[in-house]
Amino acid sequence: MSLARVYWRGLWSGRLVLGYTLLLSLTLFILAPFLMITLRSVGKGWFGRLWFPPQLTLDWYRWAIEVGNIPEVMKNTLIIGVIAVAVSTVIGIFAGWAFGRRQMPGKELLMAVVLLPRMIPPITYALGVAKIFYTLELVDTYLGVALAHVSVCAPYAILVLSATFEGLDERVLEAAGVCGANTIKRFVYVVLPLIMPGILASMIFSFTHSYNEFTLTLLTYGPHTVTLPVRTYLAVGDGYWEITSAMAVIMVLPSLLILAMIQRRAKPERLVGGLKGV
Amino acid sequence: MTRFWRSHSSGLVTFLLLLPALAGFFGLFFYPMLLTVILSFRPEGEIAGWTLENYTRFLADPDGSWVILLTFLLALGSTALSVLLSVPLSLILREKVRGHQFYRLMVLVPLVVPGLIGALGLLLFWGPRGWFNLFLLQFVPFVTQPVAVNYTLHGLTFFYVWLYFPYTCVTTLSALEALDPAIEEAGAVAGATRWQVLRHIVLPLITPGILAGSVLTFMAAFGAFSVPLIAGGNYRPLAVEIYKQIAVPIPARWSAASAIAIIMGILQVGFLALYMRLVRRGGGSARAVR
Amino acid sequence: MSEGMIEFREVTKRYGGLVANDRLSLTIRRGELMTLLGPSGCGKTTALRCLTGYIRPDAGRILIDGKDVTDLPTHQRELGMVFQNFALFPHMHVWDNVGFPLMIRGAPKAERARLVAEALRLVRLEGYEQHYPRQLSGGQQQRVGLARALVYRPKVLLLDEPLSNLDAKLREEMRFEIKEVVTRLEITAMYVTHDQAEALALSDRVAIMNRGRLEQLGTPEEIYEQPQSRFVAEFIGLSNFLEGFVQALQDDRMIVQAQHLRLSVAALPRVTPGQKVLLFLRPNEIEIQPRRDPAAANSFEARVEKATYLGDTMDYRLTLGQGLDLRVQTDARHRHSPGVSVWLHLPRVRSWIAEQQ
Repeated sequence: MSLARVYWRGLWSGRLVLGYTLLLSLTLFILAPFLMITLRSVGKGWFGRLWFPPQLTLDWYRWAIEVGNIPEVMKNTLIIGVIAVAVSTVIGIFAGWAFGRRQMPGKELLMAVVLLPRMIPPITYALGVAKIFYTLELVDTYLGVALAHVSVCAPYAILVLSATFEGLDERVLEAAGVCGANTIKRFVYVVLPLIMPGILASMIFSFTHSYNEFTLTLLTYGPHTVTLPVRTYLAVGDGYWEITSAMAVIMVLPSLLILAMIQRRAKPERLVGGLKGV
Repeated sequence: MTRFWRSHSSGLVTFLLLLPALAGFFGLFFYPMLLTVILSFRPEGEIAGWTLENYTRFLADPDGSWVILLTFLLALGSTALSVLLSVPLSLILREKVRGHQFYRLMVLVPLVVPGLIGALGLLLFWGPRGWFNLFLLQFVPFVTQPVAVNYTLHGLTFFYVWLYFPYTCVTTLSALEALDPAIEEAGAVAGATRWQVLRHIVLPLITPGILAGSVLTFMAAFGAFSVPLIAGGNYRPLAVEIYKQIAVPIPARWSAASAIAIIMGILQVGFLALYMRLVRRGGGSARAVR
Repeated sequence: MSEGMIEFREVTKRYGGLVANDRLSLTIRRGELMTLLGPSGCGKTTALRCLTGYIRPDAGRILIDGKDVTDLPTHQRELGMVFQNFALFPHMHVWDNVGFPLMIRGAPKAERARLVAEALRLVRLEGYEQHYPRQLSGGQQQRVGLARALVYRPKVLLLDEPLSNLDAKLREEMRFEIKEVVTRLEITAMYVTHDQAEALALSDRVAIMNRGRLEQLGTPEEIYEQPQSRFVAEFIGLSNFLEGFVQALQDDRMIVQAQHLRLSVAALPRVTPGQKVLLFLRPNEIEIQPRRDPAAANSFEARVEKATYLGDTMDYRLTLGQGLDLRVQTDARHRHSPGVSVWLHLPRVRSWIAEQQ
């Protein structure tokens, strides 16, 4: 038997061990950056060639909050997020209702068109958005940045809410009507509770996207509308890894929490290849 | 008037419902894109006139074509590596080993984390004081200097893989799980070893899924912005180049940036069309025949 | 020493608390077509999969042609298998599908071509070599599956409910084809199904399974005519059951009292007076006569409760009083209406000792 064959046989019979090794390496591969950021953000005196920081400290977080302006940055991020979510959800509810329950020609095409902004890197249309905002004096305003975020959030909102509305069973409404409920009562007691989970899901998605949005913010922000992603980016430029790490931790915590929450319910595979349907 | 309303009311209501979405789409995407197109044909800094010089200058200039080449190289390299990583990984994850749900979750992590954060962590991990180099220096005998990974081309490619391989992995895993297990059993009964079943039956059937997933990875890598912005060093792929044109020079070179943006946009739409073709074609043959 | 081609020796397989195969012992003879028949969950599919090696039994041995294959992986067992949902390779055309077992074994191209052509001729699919599975009908796909299973002339052919995905008419046609092919090639075959008509029509012997155990093994006639347990009697064909006590023994017959009826039944071995027995009658073995026949034993009066016209047969529910009901099927030439009194003649009554039931 040739050497290659022997090698191959060995590999194949050791495949259980190899498999687990691969999986563990994968976990390390994925998590290592986060570990490093977290350690950097709490490390004191971590120079030279050490695996772990010799001392732990919260100084960097304190610096970020007191000097780095994090509270105000957080405030900006949240306000912009709320506005973006509100606008996106309204758009999503109306459009979702149209897509989910009404007849229209070329529905698939329209849906693809709605998702187009997510299929093209934001930088391509961010230029135009920036130019328009300069003219309309929307740069460095909460409304302006929030509207820029809407281009990112609204497509997902529409996607989620179309599915929600589509899932609304006509017959349940009919049954409610037969039981004696008028339009308003049907809406309040039947429609609203049934679509509430979908609306909440869409709001969470939209907020996450707005919270993390960087590219569009970078082109439409100003000194009054620095968001967390932008602030973290600026910190990178300053060169202080510790501060940057602290801000990064503050920034990424919500996303990871939300991932942990949704992985129990929704099929996360839906996040990928959005054009294949919800 | 009532007659018009009665026969068209349904369509009107639908239209009204779609109005906010359409307004958003036009105002925040379509019109900006249009503006970008117009700007790309405008001479720099002027408000009227048409010219092709923004395009020609970028494409003819060796720096310009280098940017496009670089973006392609990064995207291709990271996509190829992603496929190499995703296929064995998916085959392992399919087996439902202990804790496989945890590992599947791990695969999704890069998708939900903003590129900025991922890039930061990767820079720290692969940097001269990061764990990778610490490991090399302490445990690998012939390494005496930290190995440069950050701000290199190969380093950037690895970063892309970390960020974008989940697209390929998830799609491949889906394709794998859509396979009818009876087909693999038929292969085994017919005499094929597990490796032969993999090679002759499983892999050909999931290839459309792998391809579709790799196009997604390619598209994401091609359009990467925040990652090369902070971790690219001197390497500026298309997205970063666009940004640099309006962030660095004073006055900002909007027309030049627009031309590059349009070039990038056209290329991306081309890849998108490719993805749609692959998805449509691949969807039929991979499923078991009834 | 095994004389069979396939042998199960005390094969046991458990899934948690459920015993899918309970010390199953079975021998399939060379050239025989045996069917494993039973309701879903009886363990027939588990037994088949133990034979292919897809499932490892928890205990017991499996032998093929005298060789213990229990620890042998699937791809080394040299079997041919036809699947319920065909399991054709969708990305290969018919020629490649059928030739796959040969390709895997490294057969030279010329030999492959010869064997594939033979296999396709056997299933009457010449001319379809370049077609893809999705272009074929269900029946055609199943034949491709059969060709693939037989192409390298395995010693054993396994069929896992191969006809359940076909419509009724096609099922009957394919039944003949399968039987013909298996007989012609003198292959040993194990067939799994829940369809008793299929089992009776195709098999040399039938193994009836229930809850992991073998209930009865015999030819189709034996199974039908002499069911050894209530389960088998109920599973194959239609049945009527009566409980009674042995009153007396006379030569080779016993007198059984079932409520107000006195029946003369062929005596069971080792039966004693006073024992409880279960009587079993097939609806199509009961005769309906308008008048009493004094010469016949087991003649009783009954009243027609329900009469259902089924085209070629009449299906009756009759009551003999005191809550005793019987189901009878006769041909439709003479019809009796509900409410009418008739005489039933019960020439064939089978029985078992009741404790076993």
